[in-house]
Amino acid sequence: MRLEATDLRSGYGTVPVLHGVSLTVSSGEIVALVGRNGAGKTTLVKTVLGVLRSTGGALHLDGVDITRMPPSRRVRAGLRATFQERALFGALTVSDNLRLSGFGSESHDRVLDAFGPALSGRGSQRTGTLSGGEQKMLAAAIALATDASLLVMDEPTEGLQPSNVALLGDHIESARDAGRGVLLIEQHLELAKRLADRFIVLEKGEVVDSGPAADPDLAARVARRLLI
Amino acid sequence: MDALTLELLNGASLFAILAIVALGLGIVFGLMGVINLAHGEFVMLGAYVAYVVHTVGLNHWLSVPLAAVVLFVLGVVIEVGLIRRIHRQPELTILATFGLSVCLRQVAELVFSKDFRSVPNPVPGATEAFGVLFPTYRYLLIAIAAVVVAATLLAFTRSRFGLVVRAIVADRDLAESAGIRTGMTNLCAFGVGAATAGIAGALVAPLGAVEPQAGLAYLPGAFLVVIVGGYNRLWGVAAGALTVAAVQTGVIHFYDAVWAQIASLALAVLVLQFRRPTPAGAVA
Repeated sequence: MRLEATDLRSGYGTVPVLHGVSLTVSSGEIVALVGRNGAGKTTLVKTVLGVLRSTGGALHLDGVDITRMPPSRRVRAGLRATFQERALFGALTVSDNLRLSGFGSESHDRVLDAFGPALSGRGSQRTGTLSGGEQKMLAAAIALATDASLLVMDEPTEGLQPSNVALLGDHIESARDAGRGVLLIEQHLELAKRLADRFIVLEKGEVVDSGPAADPDLAARVARRLLI
Repeated sequence: MDALTLELLNGASLFAILAIVALGLGIVFGLMGVINLAHGEFVMLGAYVAYVVHTVGLNHWLSVPLAAVVLFVLGVVIEVGLIRRIHRQPELTILATFGLSVCLRQVAELVFSKDFRSVPNPVPGATEAFGVLFPTYRYLLIAIAAVVVAATLLAFTRSRFGLVVRAIVADRDLAESAGIRTGMTNLCAFGVGAATAGIAGALVAPLGAVEPQAGLAYLPGAFLVVIVGGYNRLWGVAAGALTVAAVQTGVIHFYDAVWAQIASLALAVLVLQFRRPTPAGAVA
């Protein structure tokens, strides 16, 4: 599966945020999208999933134009996203959130056990009462356990303790190794370096740099851009 | 004692009518945030279904499921043709459903004329219970309304459809992102809301005149119920109907029907004053 954004534009009301972003994410690769706060990363995630309407450009999933598709159809086409905020239904139980994502009760334990004991046996708990980190883990666990071919993960490690950051990294790598494509929005540069096959740097709604993660010059430029 | 029992039964009968009429309004407002000013006309059309069933010589009870089906289909058509395009703009939905209510009344007038029609009581006579005589049909009405309201509440709280509805109400975008077809759920909800209004219309048809303006009588009461019970919880419709029925029955007992209406309105104003603001569109 291949996600292709071509000259993608979007924004909020009359305020443009993305000024023509082009990128691709293919099966079996992790593309790390990095950029400072306000670069447009979350706007890009929302636009790719269709929660935010694009104002220009095109999005294709395996050659199919999904630019005007509602989010639910994009999900059924194989795309899945975790949002930086509001990733789960806080008023519903953990089990309800799993059911909404299509998991039968027989698979709840499998999903919840993916991150060790942190979420185990907490199916009946109201999701909003989980800690921020636990909610992040749950959102990531749900996304990774779906059969989506292409995952878009918006800062999934934010608020996680270091051991869980490493564990989540392992799960994302496993997803890549299983042939899934991952667009990873990540501020945690070390993790991004560890996981990514390619880097894309976003600045003020435009792609300003990109290339293979193995390129030491690019890694240095990325680090410099994020620090400055 | 007999007088009190009779008032309680009258109150229960009023509660049944209010609850079943307001149920659909609560569903549509709670889930979609749509203030459906044509809801009374859906009730009126349900009553006409009962009238048609009577005129062709069929059993009255057949009109209840038939009205549900006819109004469900009509609700689906209206949702697709009108509501879907504007449901995120409350002011437009008010205007559009007001226009729709006028259209539906005119259509009813063209088809059935302005004449008052009647549907005979399928269960005439009274039953003696609790030491008083009370119309048997009203006992049945109370029982049927209780079943319909309970079944709807169960469907919206215990089923997957109910879970999906609660998810959409909580966060429509997030629900879409989880792969939930919110448009289809809206369609079902509007259809079910219209269907419950149709059931209400068929059930109340034997109690009064069937005429194009009949729906207007039910809309204010239904809105009072939704306001008092709260539009953020579907069971609030039942609680609201119980409260409004209790207030109206009590005031009628001690004063008269005019004061009962004034008391209901005052109750609604009081509830609005003290209720914490909640986002529009929230069935839990």
